[in-house]
Amino acid sequence: MAVLGSLGLALPLLAGCQPPRPGLSLVVATKSRIDSLDPAQASRIGVMQVLSGLGDPLYAIDASGRIEPRLATALPVLSLDGLRARIPLRRGVLFHDGTRFDAEAMAFSLRRFMAIGTLGYQLSERVEAVRTTGPYELELVLKRPFSPLPRLLSAIFLTPVSPTAYREYRDKPLNERFVGTGPYALAFFSGQQQRLVPFHRYWGRRPANGGIDLVTLSNSTALFGALRSGEVDLLLSSGLEIDHQEALHRDAGAGRLREAVGPSQEIGLVSLLSDQPPLDRLPLRQAVALSLDRGTISQRVALGLRAPLRQLIPPSLPGSDPSAWPTYDPAGARALYRREGYCSGRVLTLPLTYRSDIPTDRLFALTWQAQLRRDLGDCVALELTGMESTTAYAQLDKGTLTMLFYDWIADYPDAENFLMPLLACSQAEADRCLKGNSVLGGTFWTAPGLQQQLERSSQLAGPDRIALLEAIQRRVGAASPYLPVWLSAPVAWGRLPVSRPRFDGSGRVLLGELHRLPTTAGGSPP
Amino acid sequence: MSRRSDLARYLASRLALAPLMLWLIATLVFLLLRVAPGDPIDALLGPRAPAAARAALRAQLGLDRPLGEQYGTFLSHLLQGDLGTSLANGEPVTRIIQASLPASLELGLTALLLAAVVGLAVGFSGIARPEGRIDLAGRLYGIGTYALPPFWAAMVVQLVFAVWLGWLPVGGRFPATLLPPEGTGFYLLDSLRASDWTQLSGSLRHLILPAGTLGLLLSGIFTNALRLNLRRALGSDYVEAARSRGLSERRVVLHHALPNALLPVLTITGITVASLIGGALLIEVTYSWPGIAYRLQEAIAQRDYPLVQGIVVVVAALVVLVTVLVDLVVALLDPRIRF
Repeated sequence: MAVLGSLGLALPLLAGCQPPRPGLSLVVATKSRIDSLDPAQASRIGVMQVLSGLGDPLYAIDASGRIEPRLATALPVLSLDGLRARIPLRRGVLFHDGTRFDAEAMAFSLRRFMAIGTLGYQLSERVEAVRTTGPYELELVLKRPFSPLPRLLSAIFLTPVSPTAYREYRDKPLNERFVGTGPYALAFFSGQQQRLVPFHRYWGRRPANGGIDLVTLSNSTALFGALRSGEVDLLLSSGLEIDHQEALHRDAGAGRLREAVGPSQEIGLVSLLSDQPPLDRLPLRQAVALSLDRGTISQRVALGLRAPLRQLIPPSLPGSDPSAWPTYDPAGARALYRREGYCSGRVLTLPLTYRSDIPTDRLFALTWQAQLRRDLGDCVALELTGMESTTAYAQLDKGTLTMLFYDWIADYPDAENFLMPLLACSQAEADRCLKGNSVLGGTFWTAPGLQQQLERSSQLAGPDRIALLEAIQRRVGAASPYLPVWLSAPVAWGRLPVSRPRFDGSGRVLLGELHRLPTTAGGSPP
Repeated sequence: MSRRSDLARYLASRLALAPLMLWLIATLVFLLLRVAPGDPIDALLGPRAPAAARAALRAQLGLDRPLGEQYGTFLSHLLQGDLGTSLANGEPVTRIIQASLPASLELGLTALLLAAVVGLAVGFSGIARPEGRIDLAGRLYGIGTYALPPFWAAMVVQLVFAVWLGWLPVGGRFPATLLPPEGTGFYLLDSLRASDWTQLSGSLRHLILPAGTLGLLLSGIFTNALRLNLRRALGSDYVEAARSRGLSERRVVLHHALPNALLPVLTITGITVASLIGGALLIEVTYSWPGIAYRLQEAIAQRDYPLVQGIVVVVAALVVLVTVLVDLVVALLDPRIRF
């Protein structure tokens, strides 16, 4: 007992031994462990956030959705046939190792990415060749005209790396180092901690802070606790459970934290297996679409923090149509179920699979099940099955999941990245997709001419493109092979001594803008 | 045959069986991972990467080859001490294990030390008056700490001491504002070697909650084991004989009963060490402790076959090694042991 007592007494003493905190640097916490800082290996949100501090893309999308050149000096100049894009590059840019950034360096990085990048297909599916046409001019030879090219080139995984530093790593990843052109240079790397220090020879605006320490904490409670206890200055919402998000949101409302919400690139949706009974019947899919009370579910499950969604393209992107899917209409749904022979003593049982390792998914499934039992219990019932994410994904293209609730995160902010991966179909038989992303998405649905519309949408620009995107969404909404459920926006919470965080148009916190605020006479920040 | 040669023969047979056991474990893990649903390609690329990209990555990672060929490659590399490379980032598995294992060992050994000190102290404290209040409290402590669910206990401790009181960090292994000490990977040791007190206190502060939680949860095993064995020893003939020779009770307990009661505890320590190496999963995950169990959990989620296989083989090898060592020590200390 004496031992326990001594241990208890020692705790508060050790608590006083806080490590010194450098005045101008900030600690940012997230759940994402970083296995590699090589842009070629990047595919997760966490590493994209770190790379956004260490690297520069050719173009950036600002908070209002505008494209602005970064390492490029102007938008691509397209040839008449739209198959060659010339990109003028910025001069006077240095890599962190002191070597010069030029067209050769950019070409080296893009070719390397196409060869070994985990997301290399994003580029290699569209780009035939990368050439230099001058010391500071790059030419991309496209496989077909592609109007969202600047948006694709805003992806941070396409950030250039120093050919000198990566000479030995042309065909293999360099995980623990990063030598790019960004406002910060990497001072330390481990899977759980990355130290970013300002790069003093940076071509653009210098960071407003003295450096960033990005730390990984493995669970939501730890992340929440770390911000509450003042251990970290800023917390990113990725991986944070809804209860904790709501508590932090309340703290922000009460003025105890600073909160910022970014543009969402993540949607939650239900796939409906549309080539097999019972959901091969269009009226039944439409009935299911009318049976989803997104408002109630969002309020109950996500405590209102995830906006109900009736479209595939998030509202922050051009081409979104807020009413592409029908609203909740139990009377309309009942009529359709009745027409299909249900409701009069016959209940349609629909198997809904949810990802058991995502707590919110289970809550969604349970709440929708309860909502249907309450409003349409005599017509339809959900039969729930939990399945681990990776297992569920592997089942999607086998056609074994009648309905699966999951999410889709775009790799770069453009409508094309929400429609093509969900709807593209390279081989079809009437409304049934035999090969393509629609199969991988678990719906097996397509429609005559839809693939051509999708391809055309990535060739058009301006109002024509927006009109076509809206038309595609309305068409898909009417057939309802997917049910968009909600929108998950990235949120950041900062402690009061830190400036309010801001997001860019890709949903990443602008690390360089964060800074400690001067304290007032009373000792608290303004 | 002499006892020493018996012991040598026993050790030789245990060590000879070790490779067979490791082969069985490695084969089982290899097969179970392939049979289990889920695909590393989905974990890496997400569910809807184009088929061509998926096929290219599958070929690049060697997952398109026949299962027998994959198994043959795995075994031949394993025999050469090569555990392969991680599917997630191409890093050699041995390097990942080398980076994570010291964290687990530091946590496990500290927890074990704490568990032994606290558990044995509590177990011993009630011996003066069996069935008295202190003995009863010790018994309750032993049962209570053993029965507590680790994840729940860890979260409560984390909430109280890190979030509410703010005395200690919520997780991680080292303060974010400092850089970890270089050297062996054992931060306490490395900080001491560098005589860097800031690093040492930083490491200690991060170690206290996970090691304290794990240690206290394990201490009940020691408490119960010592209580039972000490009581049994105190009722034995040789203790009665000692008492009848007029030895003081203190001497009887400390010199006659306690050494005999501690022998079974040593065996329990061995089993505990073995389970600690891979069994601290919930503690490591709750406290974001970057040890081998935490990596194993991530590797399973990512279906990173080589990393899972490598970690399991290394943990199994350590368990075999520790149990053989404990058997050896017990045999050396206890002349009654026969093989």
